[in-house]
Amino acid sequence: MRARRLGTGMWSALAVVIALAWAFPVYWMLVSSLLPNVRLQSTTPTFFPTGGSVDNYREVITDSGFGRALSISLAVTLLAVAAAIAFAFLGALAVSRFRFRGRLSFVLALLLIQMLPAEGLFIAQYKMMSSVGQLNSVIGLSVLYAAAVIPFTIWMLRGFVAGVPIELEEAAMVDGLSRTQAFLRITFPLLAPGLVAAAVYAFLQAWNEFTVALVVMTEEQSRTLPLWLRGFVQASATRETDWGQVMAASALVAVPVIIFFMIVQGRMSSGLVGGAVKG
Amino acid sequence: MTVSTAAGSKPVPAAAARHETPRRPSGNSGDVAESRRRSPRVPLLLLVPSVVILLAALGYPVAWQLVTSFRKFGLRQQFGQPPEWVGLENYKNLLTDPSLWAVVVRSVVFCVVVAFLTVAVGGLLALLMQRVTRAARIILQVSLLLAWAMPVVAAMTVWIWIVDWRRGLLNWVLVHLGFEAAEGHNWLAQPLSFFVVAGVIVVWMSVPFVALSVYAGLTQVSDEVLEAAQLDGASWWQRLRYVILPLIAPVISIVLLLQLIWDLRVFTQIKMLQDAGGVANETNLLGTFIYQLGTGKGDFGMSSAVSVVMLGLTVALSWHYVRSLMKEEAS
Amino acid sequence: MKKLTGLVAASAVAALALTACSNGSASSAASSNSPADNSKKTITLWLAGGDTPDELRTYLKDTFKAKTGATLAIEEQSWGDLLTKLTTSLPDAENTPDVVELGNTQAPTFTNVGAFSDVSDMYEELGGSKLLPSFVEAGSVDGKRFALPYYFGSRYMFVRKDIWSSAGVATPKTLDEFNAAVSTIATKNPRSIKNFSGFFIGGQDWRNGISWIFANGGDLAKKQDGQWVSTLSDPNSLKGLAQLQAIYKTASKAPADAKDQSPWLYINDSDAITDDKGAVTGKTSLAAATIMAPGWAHWSIGDLKTVDGKATRVWNPKTFGTLVLPGNDGKPAPVFAGGSNIGISATSKNQDLSRELLRIIFSADYQKKLGGAGLGPANSDYVSSLGTDEFAAALVASASNSKLTPAAPGWAAVESAQLMEEFFGKIRDAADLSALATEYDAKITPLLNQK
Repeated sequence: MRARRLGTGMWSALAVVIALAWAFPVYWMLVSSLLPNVRLQSTTPTFFPTGGSVDNYREVITDSGFGRALSISLAVTLLAVAAAIAFAFLGALAVSRFRFRGRLSFVLALLLIQMLPAEGLFIAQYKMMSSVGQLNSVIGLSVLYAAAVIPFTIWMLRGFVAGVPIELEEAAMVDGLSRTQAFLRITFPLLAPGLVAAAVYAFLQAWNEFTVALVVMTEEQSRTLPLWLRGFVQASATRETDWGQVMAASALVAVPVIIFFMIVQGRMSSGLVGGAVKG
Repeated sequence: MTVSTAAGSKPVPAAAARHETPRRPSGNSGDVAESRRRSPRVPLLLLVPSVVILLAALGYPVAWQLVTSFRKFGLRQQFGQPPEWVGLENYKNLLTDPSLWAVVVRSVVFCVVVAFLTVAVGGLLALLMQRVTRAARIILQVSLLLAWAMPVVAAMTVWIWIVDWRRGLLNWVLVHLGFEAAEGHNWLAQPLSFFVVAGVIVVWMSVPFVALSVYAGLTQVSDEVLEAAQLDGASWWQRLRYVILPLIAPVISIVLLLQLIWDLRVFTQIKMLQDAGGVANETNLLGTFIYQLGTGKGDFGMSSAVSVVMLGLTVALSWHYVRSLMKEEAS
Repeated sequence: MKKLTGLVAASAVAALALTACSNGSASSAASSNSPADNSKKTITLWLAGGDTPDELRTYLKDTFKAKTGATLAIEEQSWGDLLTKLTTSLPDAENTPDVVELGNTQAPTFTNVGAFSDVSDMYEELGGSKLLPSFVEAGSVDGKRFALPYYFGSRYMFVRKDIWSSAGVATPKTLDEFNAAVSTIATKNPRSIKNFSGFFIGGQDWRNGISWIFANGGDLAKKQDGQWVSTLSDPNSLKGLAQLQAIYKTASKAPADAKDQSPWLYINDSDAITDDKGAVTGKTSLAAATIMAPGWAHWSIGDLKTVDGKATRVWNPKTFGTLVLPGNDGKPAPVFAGGSNIGISATSKNQDLSRELLRIIFSADYQKKLGGAGLGPANSDYVSSLGTDEFAAALVASASNSKLTPAAPGWAAVESAQLMEEFFGKIRDAADLSALATEYDAKITPLLNQK
């Protein structure tokens, strides 16, 4: 018993060391965001931001449409995630609970879609969105994002759904519940962690996406956060890039994701469990 | 979590539970199975929303890309000139271009090495997470999440600072540790060193997803089976190899496949490193190659052809898994 | 009923009259469409990056509204992604920006594919031969003008006067003297700094390096029998490349893969505090006596001070100086000009209003404002509005002889394939420059003429 605890202590120490090392770039980003640009150009690295300030943050937030970009990103991402989860869930049900012709082809198609390089599609995507008047549209972009994550989500969710045996529902129905009731009361709660896991993944994909947003959101006021952030990186051909501001802006972009993560972190682990092992 | 408790105290092997379901004769389960069989429309209805959205968002672009790969389509065509149908000429030019093969080889090697490394490191971290106190585990998980959530632009900027030849943290640390030769060392100048840096960065960014997924898979491995093996005299390594690994094989193969797919396409990290140093044409991977052809040169016919080739390449790389997946589905 | 018919008739006549009036005035180039017609219209101007200051943008919007009655919307696009956005948006008549700013090196690409409207008829009115010739050339095809200059920048040398004088080197008056001077400084290394450069120029920094090609009468490419040909291996180009090679070998300790990012880092002093005697203790970030950079770099050069609670670099005229790269012929050496062009999208539905905007942009008022903001005005008549400080003087002098990259339709492809970076990176260690240049000519020429 004693040896065991010592072992655990040692491993725990190692885990903490690894954690600190792994998060170092994040720390560096935060430190840099608190320093003025000139300090960042020194040959001597600054480990502790003594004499730093939140000037960069102030300038970044008040300056250039941060609030607007934040609301656009939130709207697009949440819409995309909601649609993706809803549709993919139904799709996962279909694929794992039923047998029908074309099921195999559909699953294969899902896999192939995920393997498509998306880089070359932006020209056609622009033409398409323009022809239906969906440029600079939150709904339009959400549709594109939802479609981008649905294949992976169906794939992930079908494992979870398959992992909940049909016997449970059937047992409930024998007890007198209708099909729908059985589903909602028994199966669905067991799937919740899986849905949460899929939602987190979809959130991250949509939140950080850049190329499609670049061509589809052409107006300054419909920019998503990644586009807004990009504006800091090469802000001017006649001024130096202010890296302190870039870091502050990046930290701001990362914050909502981290909040989202923290909230669902516990659920996520168990969620990934269920689906993963079965899938 | 789910199956273990619901189906009784004994852990039900995943495969068995799944395979049982479709084979049940309709008589035993009464209404439920019968109704399922009587209405084949139900699954199709469930699929409709997904199919509609996928077709709407991807149908035209994918078709366009496929068709364009058979045409001469440059900037002029984008601005109105009718594109010329050239059949397989783009593919021919592409496949006979020596620089493409260099890029393909580099991409495949990079992708395979990085993917396997990511899964190995992620797996090890997952194992570590099992052995530590709850506090340490949460700390590790949070730090991994922070790394995963960091915007790529910021992450790349920090990493480029770290390896900067003049002001970089890496050289500073090495010099302070006594390696005077590291002063002013340019980590991006030589392709091999460039790719080692790129590899480290991509692994750093990808491990969180793998570690968390594998950890989730590990928590499903029941303690009873492990204890039984331990009682039988199995060492840690034997337990890992013969008990744990087979049980989490599905997780591992999924994440490995995903890493292979994603690492083959890697673009932003390579592009930003190229802007910081090194010789671009010696360090191009498929992602930056497509970008150079497409946005850079305006030769969209060619870049479409490369995309199609890349799809083929991805399928080839993952053929083994795809086949086993299809077999599993069909049974 | 009668009244109504009369009313209708009257309005019809009025409408016809108004149309006749506005048609007439459009051709007279004096007044524009009547404000009443245009009050519902909006045109969009895309500006690249944050270079045009806010007050100039406001001026444009206000003046445009006053003059035409229509609204001007300004969208700022990020430099890095401008190419992508122009590629998707310009051909789309429903959503195209009406007037667009783009980099002068990007202008030939889009001009050659017909992205812009022909403004040859307005050329004289907007400034004619007073507009920067090299920029006009970049935006022209077969003598027709499509994209005109918006503003110019230039590049010159920033020097550490203190180092130059410690090394006992006088200000060079010719290019040859400059080449010798920087070599001498590197060898003398007055402060015994490790890896000290007399002139820091990155191996892949072709935008600065091509000055040596230009200064010796060479060029990157020329048009021969209607086809563009890469001329890196021409005798004059080779002369310049040889001088550059000497600089790479003796005067510059920059890595072979360094590009032209943040050169001021090398001539600023470290922000570590010096001891009370003012002697530099420990390592310093000073690594070069000379750098070459676009004019705006002066904002980032100087002593580190705290001004209004913020740490900034303050120019110190005792330590730092500017130097316009001299040529061997008494004129400034031709340098690569920075700057933008501006054009009207060919698919825009608001051609007339867009032309009005151009008139405002090329008006004396606006040109002077550009100069006041530190952006070189396209019309040489107003160059004096840049001011009289040493930076303005250096900008004007170095820009007077500046050159652009070849106005070949495929030049953008050459740049995106990073061939220039690759070529220049190999110069230092090349045993046979002529062979290397010929090799790259062969790679570049096919790309120059758009297929």
